[in-house]
Amino acid sequence: MDFSYLDDWTEDEAGGPVEEIGEGYRNIWVVAENSNRTLLPATLGVMGQARELADMIGVYVYAVLLGEDAEALGQDLLAYGADKVLIADEPGLAEYRPGLYVQIVADLVDQYRPEILLMAASPLGNDLAPRLAQRLNTGLMSHCIKLELDMSERLLLGTFAVFGGEMYHTVACPQARPQMATLQPGYFRMPYPDTSPAGSVQTVDLDLGAVTGRLTWIDHAASVALPDVSLSKAKVVVSAGRGMGDADGFALVEQLAEALGGVVAGSRGAFDAGWIAEEQIVGVGGVFIAPDLYIACGVSGDIYHYFGAQDSKFVVAINPDEHAPIMKAANMALVGDARQIIPAILDALAN
Amino acid sequence: MKIIVPIKQILDPSGMTFRRDKERMFINREEYIVDPASKAAIEAALQLKGDDDTLIAISMGLPQADDALREALAMGCDEAFLLCDNAFENADITVTTSILVAAILKLGGADLIVTGHQSADTGSGQIGPRLAEALGYAQVTDVSAMSTEDGVLQATRRWGTAEAAYATVEAVLPAVVAVTPEAFPPRYAHGARIMSAYRDWDVPVWDMAYLGLDEAALAPLLAFRREGFPPPLEVGERFHGDPADVAQEAVMALKLQKLIG
Amino acid sequence: MDFSFPKEYQLFRRMVREWVENEVKPLAKVIDREHRVPHETIKKAARLGLMGVPFPQKYGGMGGGEIGYCILMEELGRACSSTGTVIGAHTGIGAMALYLDGTEEQKQKYLVPMAQGTAIGAFGLTEAQAGSDAAAIKTTAVRDGDDYVLNGAKVFITNGDIADIITTMAVTDPALGAYGGITAFIVETDTPGFSIGSLENKMGIRGSSTAECVFQDVRVPKENVLGQFGAGFLTFMKTLDIGRASLGAATLGGAQAAMEASIQWAKAREQFGAPIATKQSIYFMIADMAIDIEALRSLIYRTAWLIDSGQPHILEAAACKTFGSEVSHRCIDRAMQIHGALGYSRDHWIELGWRDQRISEIYEGTNEIQRIVIAASLFRPHGLRIPT
Repeated sequence: MDFSYLDDWTEDEAGGPVEEIGEGYRNIWVVAENSNRTLLPATLGVMGQARELADMIGVYVYAVLLGEDAEALGQDLLAYGADKVLIADEPGLAEYRPGLYVQIVADLVDQYRPEILLMAASPLGNDLAPRLAQRLNTGLMSHCIKLELDMSERLLLGTFAVFGGEMYHTVACPQARPQMATLQPGYFRMPYPDTSPAGSVQTVDLDLGAVTGRLTWIDHAASVALPDVSLSKAKVVVSAGRGMGDADGFALVEQLAEALGGVVAGSRGAFDAGWIAEEQIVGVGGVFIAPDLYIACGVSGDIYHYFGAQDSKFVVAINPDEHAPIMKAANMALVGDARQIIPAILDALAN
Repeated sequence: MKIIVPIKQILDPSGMTFRRDKERMFINREEYIVDPASKAAIEAALQLKGDDDTLIAISMGLPQADDALREALAMGCDEAFLLCDNAFENADITVTTSILVAAILKLGGADLIVTGHQSADTGSGQIGPRLAEALGYAQVTDVSAMSTEDGVLQATRRWGTAEAAYATVEAVLPAVVAVTPEAFPPRYAHGARIMSAYRDWDVPVWDMAYLGLDEAALAPLLAFRREGFPPPLEVGERFHGDPADVAQEAVMALKLQKLIG
Repeated sequence: MDFSFPKEYQLFRRMVREWVENEVKPLAKVIDREHRVPHETIKKAARLGLMGVPFPQKYGGMGGGEIGYCILMEELGRACSSTGTVIGAHTGIGAMALYLDGTEEQKQKYLVPMAQGTAIGAFGLTEAQAGSDAAAIKTTAVRDGDDYVLNGAKVFITNGDIADIITTMAVTDPALGAYGGITAFIVETDTPGFSIGSLENKMGIRGSSTAECVFQDVRVPKENVLGQFGAGFLTFMKTLDIGRASLGAATLGGAQAAMEASIQWAKAREQFGAPIATKQSIYFMIADMAIDIEALRSLIYRTAWLIDSGQPHILEAAACKTFGSEVSHRCIDRAMQIHGALGYSRDHWIELGWRDQRISEIYEGTNEIQRIVIAASLFRPHGLRIPT
């Protein structure tokens, strides 16, 4: 970073200029994101966090929005906590182009010098933020699930998950500015909108002529058939036990698996009842699974079955008998008839 | 077409235990593997590679990262280079970027750089775009399918908020692609290539001096403050009551655990 | 002394382990129940160079030597004895005979496709009246013009009905007996006159086929004499000697799997208020398994090293097979005991492992024959000769 502009301010008699960390960098910025002329819920979460941080250190929240016909969203951004909104509104910005977006935001950052710059860890944010951070030669704390301020040093502390979520790391960006972070969607509460917010919306003048984009969007509704995941490697497994009663009950288990993007499995009882194939048996003599989420429906969970599922990270068991073996081992033991609980879960998921 | 795949070697997670109750991580078995996201990147590159194309694997790591590069050669890479120096020890993602960029430039750049979208251990998902910016290449991240033709990359990437939402883009080469690991299950290496990987290939080691890096380039921008653990999970917690209420509790708990969106 | 595996072998083992876990293990119970050879697995193995692991790359092999081959057989033994038997009979004895005694032309013509897995091999020695007493074979090979005409029947030939090439022993001079009167031949199974008789209905390794091979005026060109004419006994002895080491490796894998399963089960199964792993009767059984396995592992890979470095290995290889089959017997038997009634259930794989294991004390030279070989090898420097 070039701190030569400080020479005028802090010339020391004995030696050269004294550098102060972060001097000249102020305010918290949010690079907002919109889709179909609506602000992303994830962006609103970031706005809420930005507002909290700004209030702690007494600075402004700037929201930056790039897009086409985005001016109207300026008011929304003020309502959700921005003090000032900078909008770059051009047809050429209707679709995300990494090089273009980086150029525009970097120019604004160089001009205004925010001390903190946040955005959502959305697909766009994950694509843009690292490139922007590299352009600005600054550190980026990505996929943060929590932000804090170290008030003694006016440093942003970002906490994110590592080792597949088994641990957290907290880091800071002591010297480089702005301190950048992307915020993991779902971890930051959306604020209540202020119905009559104060603040100003300003459009940014751009000259996009010189910048050529190297990315073209061909199809926004593409699809990819991902390779099948075997049961032993599936991240979500929903299994049926004899307690599901009949084929109709088993169908509920299949519906739940589909709703969760998981793989269907079962106990030996389910195989004997003819609902699942032999390769879908979990347990001794069957498949050993280690999913992030295991939902056992109508499964008693005796050792012969549970032996194959004991490495699951989170177990939900649904069984009318609260003393069934699996209920003791599960992280959540839902006591009741799975034939009633599963439809209720499907309802709750849909809403 | 020249393709470079930066790969990462990590501690085998199956040899580690995380005790939330003790707030400690235990390494029961210290073994190193090629990060799954890197293997997916090698696989994606191998699928694109034609007979006239060259595929080069590079890795910034400890001396034993040589094994990771041998595995890359066994899978089908043509050349491999290890970037290793004691001075790299405290690298953060910005330093790693500088080191990889120096190596890529030493190799004369590439038409395509393929990385994993995010590594399994402490990955931040930043390396792809950072390399693209530093090299002045185009970038596409979280790619699940791709092809190249006449200097243009066509890639289908995850986009949008829905679970299975994808978009297709075209990028002018040279470009950096970060691939979705699940979309590229890695192939098994051929036995003969595994034997050859250690016997017939050289993996040159490039250090700080060779790469022309100075202290400033190796100074990390991020500082580690502390580590933490999620709270221990309840076991055997029963939920009684009306199915609708019980279901609500379950869905809320799953959302809290980030097991569902 | 460095007892660690060279790096390429460590990488090879990791690859094979993963491949076996994903491609071989899921079929283990299925092929046993359906009594069929896993042809799909053989094709997958061929694509990865796993059908010719010990042979040099110039013969289409993987260049892994005996050490690499033992690694493959061990990993297969951990998951599916049937698959291990099919590949083992093909590589370890069928193709091996060609590698040991074939001419360059024969190697190019037959060993290369076998090593690449495009042709399947078998080893034709045993007959109804000639098991342990291998020299008592009666299949004849009579010279007729530029060919030899073979007549007779072989029994218990692994891969007999799926092989493209069978290395066959036949009597070329009854008067000379074992030394000088038996010759080895390379027989292509699509030669007219060759047919399959009955298929054995075996207790175990039911995912491999064991066939009666009938030779009725089968014409074999003189170019297909393998090794020295009349020295067939030496050819097959050499082949079986080497084959024993990798057989031992397969039993090592089986024993290892039995022990690992026992530990996992003993940890999970609670009786009398605690996991049975905490009961001395159980953990002493597991400790005994571990002792056997450690000893066997050292024996196997030291023997493989002896073979790869061209050193004498007859005693060690016979010990591999004998000790290995007896170790795996003890281990799978203890594993069944530890698993209790579950071990006896056909729903679980322990009983499959138990049924599959038993043949290893019988085939490729019974353990009694092995002991003869070992004693003969020990006594030779003392000038003692054992009558057979």
